[in-house]
Amino acid sequence: MDIRIRGVSKYYYSEGKTIKALDDVNLTIPANQIFTLLGPSGCGKTTLLRCIVGLEMPDTGEISIGDDVVWSKDKNISVPPEKRGLGMVFQTYAIWPHMTVFDNVAYPLQVRGAAKDRIRESVAKTLRFVQLEGFEGRPATKLSGGQQQRVALARALVAEPRVILFDEPLSNLDAKLREETRKELRAFLGKLQITAVYVTHDRVEALALSDSIAVMRSGKIIEIGTPKKIYFDADHRFVADFIGRANLVKARVRGVEGGYTMVDCGLGVIACQQRDVAVGSEATLCIRPEFIRIVGGEAPAAKNLVNGRIESLVFVGEAYEAEIRVGEEQLLAKIDPDAKLDEGDAVSFTLDPAHCLLVAV
Amino acid sequence: MDHTRSSKLTWLLIAIVGALTVCPVLMLVLGSFSEGLTAFGDFTTDKYVEVYTDPAFFEVMLNTTIFVLGSSTLSTVLAVFLAYLNTRTDIPFKFLFKIISIIPMMIPHLLFSVSWALLLNPSNGLINLGLMEAFSLDNAPFNIYSMWGMILIEGLLDLPIAYLIIAPAMASFDVALEESSRVSGASSWRTLFRITLPVLRPAILAAFILGVVRSLASFAVPSVIGMPGRVQVLATHLYEMIATGFATDYGKAAALGMSVLVASVTLIVVYRALTAESEKYVTIAGRGFRPTVIELGKARMPLFFVVGVLSFVLIVLPVAVLLYTSFVPYSMVPSARAFSMMSLKHWHDVLSDPISLLSLKNSLFLAVVGATLGVILSIFVAYVIVKVKTRASGVLDSLSYLSFSFPGIVIGVGFMWFFVQTPLYATIWALLLGYIATYLPYGIRPMSSAFIQIHSHLEESSLVCGASPLTTMRRIIVPLLVPGIVSGWILMASMFVRELTLSVVLSRPGTEVLAVQILRFSEDGLWGRLSALGIVMIGISTALVVTATLIGNRFRTV
Repeated sequence: MDIRIRGVSKYYYSEGKTIKALDDVNLTIPANQIFTLLGPSGCGKTTLLRCIVGLEMPDTGEISIGDDVVWSKDKNISVPPEKRGLGMVFQTYAIWPHMTVFDNVAYPLQVRGAAKDRIRESVAKTLRFVQLEGFEGRPATKLSGGQQQRVALARALVAEPRVILFDEPLSNLDAKLREETRKELRAFLGKLQITAVYVTHDRVEALALSDSIAVMRSGKIIEIGTPKKIYFDADHRFVADFIGRANLVKARVRGVEGGYTMVDCGLGVIACQQRDVAVGSEATLCIRPEFIRIVGGEAPAAKNLVNGRIESLVFVGEAYEAEIRVGEEQLLAKIDPDAKLDEGDAVSFTLDPAHCLLVAV
Repeated sequence: MDHTRSSKLTWLLIAIVGALTVCPVLMLVLGSFSEGLTAFGDFTTDKYVEVYTDPAFFEVMLNTTIFVLGSSTLSTVLAVFLAYLNTRTDIPFKFLFKIISIIPMMIPHLLFSVSWALLLNPSNGLINLGLMEAFSLDNAPFNIYSMWGMILIEGLLDLPIAYLIIAPAMASFDVALEESSRVSGASSWRTLFRITLPVLRPAILAAFILGVVRSLASFAVPSVIGMPGRVQVLATHLYEMIATGFATDYGKAAALGMSVLVASVTLIVVYRALTAESEKYVTIAGRGFRPTVIELGKARMPLFFVVGVLSFVLIVLPVAVLLYTSFVPYSMVPSARAFSMMSLKHWHDVLSDPISLLSLKNSLFLAVVGATLGVILSIFVAYVIVKVKTRASGVLDSLSYLSFSFPGIVIGVGFMWFFVQTPLYATIWALLLGYIATYLPYGIRPMSSAFIQIHSHLEESSLVCGASPLTTMRRIIVPLLVPGIVSGWILMASMFVRELTLSVVLSRPGTEVLAVQILRFSEDGLWGRLSALGIVMIGISTALVVTATLIGNRFRTV
């Protein structure tokens, strides 16, 4: 079931000022995809999710799920959340503490007036799916964080909703559990063929889980794309910077040569992935730390060869994090942990043009 | 819940709570400027002139000031002492402190005062009689019917509430503040007076001010202890205007009540500001530490002895005295002879007295129906205050808090002016409305804290699961509220069973309630019957608490 959002804005008023939580958002979330809304806190991603689910009313625009318009300012349509037939996993899980696991999961079916046999069957099936068989009789409060999270997921899935929504569901778990649960979630959702909308501020989570990512800032959607597109080929400096660690270098476009866009910058002349930018215009060169390749011994003549000096070297386990000084610029690089390097050493490195990304200033 | 529905609910509640709280105040104001109950609307300022130029007024004011400040000081000092011992030292049997803070809720103020009158009155107080026999004295050594007697009893009565304010503040105190004082070279005593108590000042002041408000509104102590000793305070002065003599004057009572009301409301505003302040002072950072326990060493047992005596005096003694008095034919020191003369005569008299039985029936009705209605109203009000945060719900919050400051007897006069204009006058429904209006904050407070604990996600996830707002209320919100509902209900019901101050004004022949009937017995010196009826009252209070707790437990284990 796809979700179409047209011209949705949402304002808050506080101390005489108007805050645009959502600023004319237009978005189509395709059916049967895991679609992530990613952005820093306060960017409006949770507000957008709550507008989709019906817990908040936008001030303008129209939202439709499948063929049904669930909210329209102009047509004066406002379907309450309980009539939208969705499932949602809350940040706090919102497991009802006065009920058992069974009652929590059975609730959506009970309020729809399903027959007792069918409820028992569906709950058992869903609990098996989230690997919580045999937990039916447990009081919901006697579960670990990860188990509560799965109960919340089971409850959101049990009524076979058209769309399932996640509001930062992993943020209350500790780091190790978060990673495991993320993998599980990915596997669960992969089996289901369901439209999932996922809100997070964690870029790794977004990259690992999503089919598509929409990056948001200040109530606006900045860019939409697959994880790879967003990571390697972002159009906006904000997106490139937000989705991963990046060295951002000021550059001026020289022209196009042999399928590369050539720029002048503090690193010299660098060949970049081809972009349609006017010659002479300013741009930002974005280089991720892991794509800075140290060249050992006598440097061969290669494309994008840069010479610099190691200013600092910090061992972080799986790699060295090095700060390399090149003229006025300072670059962060991830270097192999067994590299024989010291602070103060002169180094040469290459930059693969495919990973030299030009973004708007 | 969508916006139009919740704002409709807010305005409906503002109308109801507003009618309940503002109406009696308004009628009090209008009444104070009126000629009399039957001449409502003929405006005059005579009543104010009469009341405030009365030569007795000055003495009443002086007595009131001494009584109020004295008893609040006593209760606050005792509360600080007990709270410190409980939260910060290794004193044994800490469960006693919980009992001290809860049990007095089951012993009505009226009976507590009476039991002390039975012990220490100058003509036949048991302790006085005992001491006179033992030391062959000619005169009774103690006279409870005096200012010091009033201060002592009121101070003890207000102790639990002061303790409940101060103890949590002390428990959440960051000991690092004290430790850094010790490291800086200050002794523990110096640290206590320079650091601990100043940091706790907002909580201590709040407890003191609440004590002032409560003793200002107190009627049990001034009527049982003060009136026989002719120590008049505002509450009894006002009571005499409406209850004794041939010329009852509700206009004068209203004019006098206005000053009490203004003082109370002002103090409660200060109190609210202080409690907000003391929340700011909460220094604990949620690091989950226990304050270091101070070892009392040699002082441990003597201090515990003091606590033990206090609990005995607060809990055991009043009940024991009443029980004893209900069985002996007249006041006599416990002895073999006294025990041989014990009988059920007073019990029989009370249980065959139609007015006592009527008062019992009325009080039970008011407790059960009143607390149920009060709690239902509180659920909605607390919901709007906590969950629907609009400007209108702020108004509701202030309105519902207003009656917290109402001195019962004064607001009773206001209600009197109102009910006389309606067919409700002299019916049980007048008492019911008055009770709910006056005690609403006691229902709303436990409900609000229960609502605060319910994260909005719990409610929202039910909506997303497809449940209607009503189903959500029934299946999610109400069950989670059960503990709050139970404690709110207990609080209201046990207050209604023993309600005195409002009832002495509003109760009429046919609508007697327990406390009023007990007061009549006390005025007539019928101590035996009084004690029997008093024990019944305590029994009902206790039974209410026990049943409600049982029901609450059953709900929670679902």
